[in-house]
Amino acid sequence: MLKQKKEILPLINSDFIDGILIFSKQNNLYFINSPAAKFLKIKSKKALGKNISELEKARGFKDVAVFLKQKNIKEYEKEIEINENLILKAHIIPLGKKCQEKTLVVLHNITRAKRVDIMKTDFISLAAHQLRTPISTIKWTLRMLVDEDFGEITRTQRKFMERIYKTNEKTIKIIDDLLNMVHIEQGTYLSKKKTIDIEKLFKNSFNFFKKDIKKKGIEFEIRTQKNLPKIKADQEKIQMAINNIFENAVKYTLEKGKIIVSLKHDKKEIKVCVRDTGVGIPFNQQYRVFSKFFRGARAITIDTEGTGLGLFIARNIIEAHNGRIWFKSQQGKGSEFYFTLPIFQN
Amino acid sequence: MSKKILIIEDDKFLRELISQKISKQGYIVIGAIDGEDGIEEFKKEKPDLVLLDLILPGIDGFEVLSQIKSNAELSKTPVIILSNLGQKEDIEKGVNLGADDYLIKAHFTPNEIIEKIEKVILK
Repeated sequence: MLKQKKEILPLINSDFIDGILIFSKQNNLYFINSPAAKFLKIKSKKALGKNISELEKARGFKDVAVFLKQKNIKEYEKEIEINENLILKAHIIPLGKKCQEKTLVVLHNITRAKRVDIMKTDFISLAAHQLRTPISTIKWTLRMLVDEDFGEITRTQRKFMERIYKTNEKTIKIIDDLLNMVHIEQGTYLSKKKTIDIEKLFKNSFNFFKKDIKKKGIEFEIRTQKNLPKIKADQEKIQMAINNIFENAVKYTLEKGKIIVSLKHDKKEIKVCVRDTGVGIPFNQQYRVFSKFFRGARAITIDTEGTGLGLFIARNIIEAHNGRIWFKSQQGKGSEFYFTLPIFQN
Repeated sequence: MSKKILIIEDDKFLRELISQKISKQGYIVIGAIDGEDGIEEFKKEKPDLVLLDLILPGIDGFEVLSQIKSNAELSKTPVIILSNLGQKEDIEKGVNLGADDYLIKAHFTPNEIIEKIEKVILK
């Protein structure tokens, strides 16, 4: 056993890709391997034994220090940008009583992954922007054809042109979603906040999807608690979040189903619930619901055109307003989507 | 007398489409294929309104806009941006430079664009 330990230690010390640091209960540096020393640009010998409050002057340590100094630290992950050529992901793991309350910090180099991520986002942005010109051309031409700007058309011709127009509008929506996602990833999203009325935004949403609701014979109800306060928010974005949540409820609720929106509030926040009797989300897929490009297994068969971006966008909008978003769902029975928005924004 | 509208748009088909629509409404339409051409036509023709694309070969729409707005004699001419850039910064930049409206091409039909033009031109 001892022999094995002797063999393993040099491996961890110098041949390991990840940086490893161990801090004592008192937050003195107990162990540091050479990749970690390289990442943080410190000399191992000098740093060993020193307290985090001394080490935090070194760039990179600062972020780690914040968490070490907390009393009951939980496992934590954080991205640390040392410089533009070195981005690390730090996993901070408390080792517990068996290890005398030491804390393990693993530093993983994610620079390349981050770069690829940025390139992907840039590529989607470029592609989406490039697509907007041809789809605008299609939109304008079709509209003018249907409006008989180029001469009379027959009823059958009109019917088919209207269909192409609708399909093109869906394409425009997909491209808008992709660009919204890009803006979220680039952190350039929210704009000015003004006073908004949540109930009204839900009514807008209802009107927007009225046709589909009627067609499917879905029962719709909105329950609003008295004196629902108005809040300050980015109206356009909150409307978008509501539309995305509401659209899912409409899409995935089968004929003769029911959608209930309830709006409540307490002193601190407005709490919104959108409940449907739809197909629900299978339990084993629930953890991915808010991640981008997620599509539920049943969802794909019901609606082939969704982008899997709606809830990703909704979550980002709500969280950017310091709200919370979550859901409960049972396959075959329906889903309840909740979100909160603080009444007073800082 | 008919009002004059200058359309600065590098995509030939889009320019023709919107030109046709606008001239049908009784306006005189002048087309320009890029930023430089646009500024030249602007100075020569003194239009009543400019419909301006942003991504143009050579000097871009933002530059055209700031040149129009810095010309003492002509700076009052209303400008509507008609572009496919729709990011917050682009819109803010356009409005700060003095654009009267900002329309994203894919979000407006030709008729809606006409409505916007009339709203600005009759103001």
